[in-house]
Amino acid sequence: MAKTVVNKHADLKSSIIPWLLILPTFIVVLMFTAWPTVLSIYQSFFRLKLNVPRFRVPTFIGLQNYVELFKSPTFHQVLWNTIIYVAGVVPISVILAFLFALLVNRAIKGIGFIRLGFFYPTILPMVSAATVWMYFFTPNYGLFNLFLQWFGYHGPQNWTGNPHLALLAVMIVAIWKSAGYFMIFYLAGLQNLPTDVFEAADIDGVNYLQRLWYITFPLLRRTTLFVTTIAFIDGFQIIDHIFVLTQGGPSDASNVLLYYLWEMRFNYQDVGKSAALTVILVAFILIFTIGNFALSERKEDRRVA
Amino acid sequence: MKMFSKKLLLVLLVLVVSFSIVFAGCAPKKAPQQNNNQNNQQNQQQNTQKEVTIQIYFPVSTLAPEAKLLDSYAAAFHKEYPNITVKPVYSGGYTDVEKAIKTVINGGGEPPALAIMLATDLYDLIDAGYIVPLDSYINSMPNGQAYLNDFFPQFLANSKYEGKIWSIPFQRSVALMYYNADLLKENNLPVPDSWQSLAEVTSKLTKKDKDGKVVRWGIEWPSGWPYWLFQPLAIGNGTNIFKGPAQMNFNDPRVIEAVQYYIDLSHKYHAMPEGVQKNWNTAVPDFENGRAAFILHSTSGLNGILQGSKFNVGVMAVPGKKKGTYATVTGGGNIYMFKNVPKEKQDAAWKFIEFVTQPKYVADFSINTGYIATRKSAYDLDVMKQHLKEVPQAAKVKELLKYAGPEFSCHDLAQVRNIFHKYLQAAYNGQMTPKAAMDEAQKEAQAILKDFQNP
Repeated sequence: MAKTVVNKHADLKSSIIPWLLILPTFIVVLMFTAWPTVLSIYQSFFRLKLNVPRFRVPTFIGLQNYVELFKSPTFHQVLWNTIIYVAGVVPISVILAFLFALLVNRAIKGIGFIRLGFFYPTILPMVSAATVWMYFFTPNYGLFNLFLQWFGYHGPQNWTGNPHLALLAVMIVAIWKSAGYFMIFYLAGLQNLPTDVFEAADIDGVNYLQRLWYITFPLLRRTTLFVTTIAFIDGFQIIDHIFVLTQGGPSDASNVLLYYLWEMRFNYQDVGKSAALTVILVAFILIFTIGNFALSERKEDRRVA
Repeated sequence: MKMFSKKLLLVLLVLVVSFSIVFAGCAPKKAPQQNNNQNNQQNQQQNTQKEVTIQIYFPVSTLAPEAKLLDSYAAAFHKEYPNITVKPVYSGGYTDVEKAIKTVINGGGEPPALAIMLATDLYDLIDAGYIVPLDSYINSMPNGQAYLNDFFPQFLANSKYEGKIWSIPFQRSVALMYYNADLLKENNLPVPDSWQSLAEVTSKLTKKDKDGKVVRWGIEWPSGWPYWLFQPLAIGNGTNIFKGPAQMNFNDPRVIEAVQYYIDLSHKYHAMPEGVQKNWNTAVPDFENGRAAFILHSTSGLNGILQGSKFNVGVMAVPGKKKGTYATVTGGGNIYMFKNVPKEKQDAAWKFIEFVTQPKYVADFSINTGYIATRKSAYDLDVMKQHLKEVPQAAKVKELLKYAGPEFSCHDLAQVRNIFHKYLQAAYNGQMTPKAAMDEAQKEAQAILKDFQNP
């Protein structure tokens, strides 16, 4: 009898402590992430436009906000821009990060400087970096244009004003900014890899590319999962450089979901539509994150089997 | 038993969390009440001691030269009214002030008593119920009408709505064409006086090196945020891009012709970079370093450009289509007074408006910044006369005011302006013809503005 009581206490203790430990984070996440999301879903069913006197009181309009958004050509363009932006920035910056990590994961003299060089963009605040890039993109004498000319580029130079280049310009800045950051995760991953498998592979006479593809890359799968998830969320959420470089222009050519959301809420004062946009944005991120995770876990099951 | 205790824990957890949410949900509602209580207490104290502190938001950064000037005006004001303390808050740019105020008001807090915001924000601020009209204060002045009439009517145009005055002009500018007078002289070219001569002169001043690369543009005309510097073209063709606060004029044939003229300057005359020019920041150094013979910019840059250029700088309004006609457009910010601010603070705020718009401060601000003095009587002061003698360009700027048309402003400005920008840039970039672009802009804008046509 006495023995079971002791056990029960121990059980209770061991089950309380973890809960207590995550409680502060849990509350903060609920208050600042979950609750605003719920609020946004609720608000997205109402017409509330603060700078139109008769729409200053919220009225229930069902799915009207969503219907209007999906009918609007601007929203179509914004959605399409966002897909191109994320589909370009995420894989390119992750692949670059992986290559950078392979490059700097060696014991050469002065490797510290090269590592610093790759990581440097991460230290700069995005707004300062974008301001510098704004001058790099200047036609005729901007550094980026001079650099391209040196490689024989003679195309248009008006990067932030040309509708065919503006989205590419903001993507270039985003990739330049984030690749070094993701490199750090890959570098940490590479340095923690077990050495015995590589020794075994060497004995079996595996060449460099085979080793990379069959051993290094699969072993870094967890890192890749983490990095792609972060990269994807960042791709949707980091828009500081768009404010500086293009303001979504010219003619919405570089307008993406979160920038459009900001315009809707703070410039157009349309609370209902901006809430609907928030819901769409959250849905996008959720679908990808869960999808990415599920895909990665399924692969693991197959391997174990 | 084990299951039970886990369940109990979960229930407890949910209770704690939901309690905290309810608490969090209540908190913002409680805060303003507490604020009000505090305000009431403060007001009671003020009634006995008559001590008032008001805030005024300025759209400049703390390090800007304007900040020093404004600090000195606030200090001078405190000397004259020892019971009133004015606290200037330097928030960055116009959009930062706007953001800060919207955040405070949406969050249920008390806005500052005063703020300098864009003159064109008028309708949005009224529609959102943020500001109060100033007529009662003006009428209570011994010579209120004379005070109003002393402001240049071009600047006061953005203050009137439904027969009331909602703002007082403060830091005002016009769009200005700067030209390298030495280059004109060297090449024996006249100062342009029409669209045609502007195109010809700037075309001749465009210089290429032997590889065909442009080393000097005839003219740079920023169009990253294009409506403002486009307006002088529409005005110079005898119209404007809007008719009223809910009626646009984007597809007027004369506006379309103006869009075509801008495109012609690059495509036909090769005097200007093609497409949308994102050069608001680089146009001034380009001009100062001789990489552009003409630029369009604001008068607020005048002092800097005069200091930075090693040649004779000419300033003028934008030539109109017809020979001998000119046009420009007003810009800049006015002082607004906010709703939901205790009466004592509003009264004190008005005293500060009166104080800081006295001719001597208006003149001082203009001399030190390059903004145009907003009151006629400021130009009668000796310091101002002296300044205009020393800086003839500043005298010229004052003369240009007679060519100035009103700056584009309407209900739901941000959205309508974005529509105009979108299609104007599409035309500049050759994605649409000027006519198709302006027709579409007009259609979309009027669809937005239908909410305001029958209030």
